[in-house]
Amino acid sequence: MSKKILTIDDSKSVRQMISMTLGSAGFTVEEACDGAEGYEKAIACGYDAIITDLNMPNMSGLDFIRKFRAHPSSRGVPIIFLSTESDDVSKREAKSAGAIGWIVKPFDQNQLLAAIKKVAGA
Amino acid sequence: MTQHARDIDAVPAGEAMRALTLDVGGEVFAIEATSVREILDMVPVTEVPNAPAFVAGLINVRGRVVPLADLRVKFGMEHRPPDDDTRIVVFEITLEEEPTVVGMLADRVHTVCDIALSTMEPAPKVGMRWRPEFVRGIAKHDGNFIIVPEMNRVFSTEGAGTANSENETRAG
Amino acid sequence: MTQIDPAETFRLEAQDVLEQLEQTLLDLGDDLDDMALVDGAFRALHTIKGSGAMFGFTEVADFVHEFETAFDRLRKGDAAPSGELVRVALGAKDHIARLIAEPNAHARAGVPILDRLRAIVGTGIQAEAPPRPVDAATPGNGPAAGDASHGWRIRFRLPEDALSLGASPALLLDELRELGDCTVLASAEDLPSLEKLDPEICHLSWDVTLLSDCSRDAVEDVFLFVEDGMQLDIAPLPAAGPRSDAAAPAGPSDPAAPPAGKTDRAGAPPRENSSLRVAAERLDELLDRVGELVIAQARLSQIAAESSNPSLMTVTEEIERLSAGLRDTTMGIRMVPIGTLFGRFRRLVHDLSAELGKDVDFVTSGEQTELDKTVIESLADPLVHVIRNAIDHGLESPEARAKAGKPRQGSVRLSAAHEGAEVAITVSDDGAGLDTDRIRRKAEASGLIASDATLSDSELHRLIFHPGFSTAQEVSAISGRGVGMDVVSRTMDALRGRIDVDSQRGRGATVTLRLPLTLAIIDGMMVRVGRNRYSIPLSAVEECVELPPDIAEGSRGRNFLRIRDKLVPFLRLRELFGTQEPEDLHQKVVIVSTGEQRVGLVVDQILGNTQTVIKSLSRLHADVETFAGATIMGDGTVALILDVANLVRSGQRFETRLRDEQTKGQAA
Repeated sequence: MSKKILTIDDSKSVRQMISMTLGSAGFTVEEACDGAEGYEKAIACGYDAIITDLNMPNMSGLDFIRKFRAHPSSRGVPIIFLSTESDDVSKREAKSAGAIGWIVKPFDQNQLLAAIKKVAGA
Repeated sequence: MTQHARDIDAVPAGEAMRALTLDVGGEVFAIEATSVREILDMVPVTEVPNAPAFVAGLINVRGRVVPLADLRVKFGMEHRPPDDDTRIVVFEITLEEEPTVVGMLADRVHTVCDIALSTMEPAPKVGMRWRPEFVRGIAKHDGNFIIVPEMNRVFSTEGAGTANSENETRAG
Repeated sequence: MTQIDPAETFRLEAQDVLEQLEQTLLDLGDDLDDMALVDGAFRALHTIKGSGAMFGFTEVADFVHEFETAFDRLRKGDAAPSGELVRVALGAKDHIARLIAEPNAHARAGVPILDRLRAIVGTGIQAEAPPRPVDAATPGNGPAAGDASHGWRIRFRLPEDALSLGASPALLLDELRELGDCTVLASAEDLPSLEKLDPEICHLSWDVTLLSDCSRDAVEDVFLFVEDGMQLDIAPLPAAGPRSDAAAPAGPSDPAAPPAGKTDRAGAPPRENSSLRVAAERLDELLDRVGELVIAQARLSQIAAESSNPSLMTVTEEIERLSAGLRDTTMGIRMVPIGTLFGRFRRLVHDLSAELGKDVDFVTSGEQTELDKTVIESLADPLVHVIRNAIDHGLESPEARAKAGKPRQGSVRLSAAHEGAEVAITVSDDGAGLDTDRIRRKAEASGLIASDATLSDSELHRLIFHPGFSTAQEVSAISGRGVGMDVVSRTMDALRGRIDVDSQRGRGATVTLRLPLTLAIIDGMMVRVGRNRYSIPLSAVEECVELPPDIAEGSRGRNFLRIRDKLVPFLRLRELFGTQEPEDLHQKVVIVSTGEQRVGLVVDQILGNTQTVIKSLSRLHADVETFAGATIMGDGTVALILDVANLVRSGQRFETRLRDEQTKGQAA
C-alpha cells in the first residue's frame, strides 16, 4: 500500500508541486490549505508523514505542530516543515514543538523526495 | 503547425506529403492528411444569410457548429447539387493565428496517398484559371495532376468577402 | 492524471495574492495603524517570494525580498507604515505583476522602486542576497569529508522522543545499507525491565560497520532529521576512535537574520475556505459537454414523443430532469461574485484622484452579486471607462464643487444587483451631470445626428457611447476621452447587455449596465423565415402580434406598427435575409427590445420556445452582423441566433431616417 502524505500550505502552487512530485513517486498525497484544516485531517486520518508550511493564515504551521503533537494520534507521525534559509528562530521553535526536520525553500523535486523518503520510506 | 513539422510527421525526411485526394468540379485536389479530422456523408446545411458565397452554410459536426465551405466558389467552378458521392471533409486550418475547424464539400473522396514533393511544381503565374496565391503547387500522382491548394490562404478572411470579389476571381 | 504545470498555477495564484495585496495596501493607506493589515501584506509578499523562487521566477523573488524585509520590520515595530510607503508598495505590486507576466524583460525597472523603498524605510535594510536554492538533504555545512576511507563505523542511539516524532530506526538502517554493505549490531543493554519499559521510547542502540567509499557527509545525511539529541559516532574504518563532534547543527546559521516573531496572525482575510480552484478552460469544457448533453436530450425527447413508447417516455423525462439539473449546477459553478472585479477599481480611483486632484469617496455595494465568470472578465474594461469618465468628467474640481454648494469631496458609487434575469451594474456620481447641449453640438459637428433631428434627452445621453464621440473641451491624458466609451457599448453588445444613462444637470449622472445572467445557455424563441429557422433570445422578446393585412400588403416605405399608441418600426426578416420562398399568409411580428428601444421582426411562423446552447460563429462569419451565434436544435440541425441589439439598431436607424424625412416634409 502506498504511503499517505499530508501537505499543508496556503500556496496552491506549492501544494500542487508537492502532490505531483510525491504522487508520481507512488505516494498518496492529501492537501490542506492552512493549519486548521491540516489539523482536522491529520487527527482524522493516519498519515505516514506530514509536510507543513509555517507561515499560513488561520493556524500557523507552528501552532499546527504544537496542537497536533498534543493529540495522541500524532505518535510516530513525522512532520517536516518548510522554512526559509534565514529563519533560525522558527526552525528552533518548530523543531522543539515536535517536527522532525525541515526543507529550505525554495526546494526542488529531488530534494523533496529525498526528504520524504528519509522519514516515510519509499 | 509549420509546414516543416508536418512533412516530418508524414513520411521520411519531408520528401513526400501524405494527402487526402478528392474531386471538386472535375479537378483533383489534395489536402494534407494530418489536418483532416473526419469525412462525413452529406448532412443538412443551414444557410447563413448575407455570408460570403464561399462559406454560405453551417453544419453540425458532433455538437460543434462548423462553417461549410465550397471550394468551387473560390476556384470559379460551376455549382452542382450534392449526390450520393458527395462528402464533407472536416479539417483544421489556421485563421488569423487561430486553429479553426472547417468543413468542405467534395464531389467525391478518393484515398490517402503519399505525394512525392519532388513532382510538385509551383503554380504557373499565367494561363491558370485560379488565383495563383490559392495554389501551393501542382503535383503528379499516378499520371494525374493534383492541385495542392494553400488552404490557409483560400480561407483567409481577407478577400473572402463579397460576391464581387468572387466574380473577380472568376474573371481572373 | 492530467498534466498540470505548477508554474502556471503559481501565475494564477500570484494574481490572486497580488490582488489581495493591493486591497490590503489600500486598506492600510486608509488606516496606517492596523497591524493586521501589515501582517497580511507581509504574508502576501512572503508567499510570492517563496513560491516564486520555487517555480523559477527568481527575478520576482529577488525583487520581493526587500519588500518582505521592509514589511517584516513594520510588523516588529522597527519602522512605521506611511502613505508614501503604501504608494511605493502599490507600485511594487504592479512591478511584480509585470515580472511574472513577462519574465526577463522588466528587472531593471525594479531598481528605482527599491531605491524609493530604501529611502522611506531607512537604513535598516541591507541588500541581503536573496535566498538561493540549497540542497535540503545535503546542507553543505558538515565537517570536511574524509573521502579516502574504505568505510565507516557508525554507532548511534536515538533521542528518547524520536519514535513518537516519527523517526524510524529501520529507515535509517535501510538508508545506510543503500550506501554500501552493512554489518548491523543492535545493543539492548540499556533495555529496562519490562514493567519500566515505555514502548514509545527507543531503548536500543546500534553499531554499524559500513563498507563504502562514501563521504562522511553522506553518512551524516542519513541522520539529518534525527541528529538533534542523538548520540552519533562516525569513524573511518579500520580505525575506531570515537568522535564527539560529529553531530553538526543542521542548517546554516545567520546571526544577522531577523527573528521571526509570532507566526499566527488574527484578522487576516480568510483565503481559500473549502473552495477548489479550477482552470477556466475546464469549466468551459464542462459547459460544452453539458451543452451537448442538452442538445442530445432534446433530440431524445423528440424521438420519444414520436415513438409513443411509455417506458421510453419515462426514461426520457428522467433524463430531461437530470440534464436540466446538471445544466443549472454547471452554470452555478461558473458564477463568480462581482466583488472580485470591484476590488480592482479601488486602485483606479486611488490613482485617478491623486492625478486629477479630486477628492473621491468611492463606495461599492452588491459585491456578492454573482455573474458568469466570462461576463465578469469582459466587464473590466467597460467599467474602467465608465468610472474614469465619472471621475474625470463627471466630478467637478473641489473648488467648483464648493462654489456650487456641494461638499468638496465627490462621490462615486459602484453597485451591482440582480433584477430579474439580469444583473444591473450601476456607476453613479454626484458631479455636474451630462451636458445635453454640448452633446448635441458635438454630435451634430461630427455628423452623428442631423442638425434638426429630434432627440430625447436619453437618446442624447446614449450618444456618449457612440464610437469616436467626444465632448472633451480639453483633452485629458487620463481618460483619453471619447476613445474608450464606445468600448462600453461594443462590449455590452457582445454580452447581449444594454446601457441606460440617467443624468440630472448639476446633480450627477448614473450609468447602468444591464446584463443577462449567463452567456452560454439561454431560452430562445424559435421562428421560421422561409425554410430556415432562427432563434431569438427570449429575454429580448416583448410580445408577438399578427402583422395587420393592410400593412402586410401596404407600401414598403411605411414599415411602422402602432402598438398601444406607439409607433414601432419593423424589419421584414425575409427581405433582410433575401429569402426566396413565398411568404406565409399570416405574417407574425416579434417585438424585441433593448432598453427603451423596440423593433418588430416580421417572420413567417413562430415555432415555440426552446433552450438554446449558444455556439459562437467562426471568424469566417465575423462580418455577418445580424447573428449573435448559432445553436444546435433537437433534430441535430444548426439554427442561427439573431443579434437583437444589432437588429434594433438597424431599426432605429431606419426610424431616425424616416422621422427626419417626415420633419422635412412638414417643414416644406
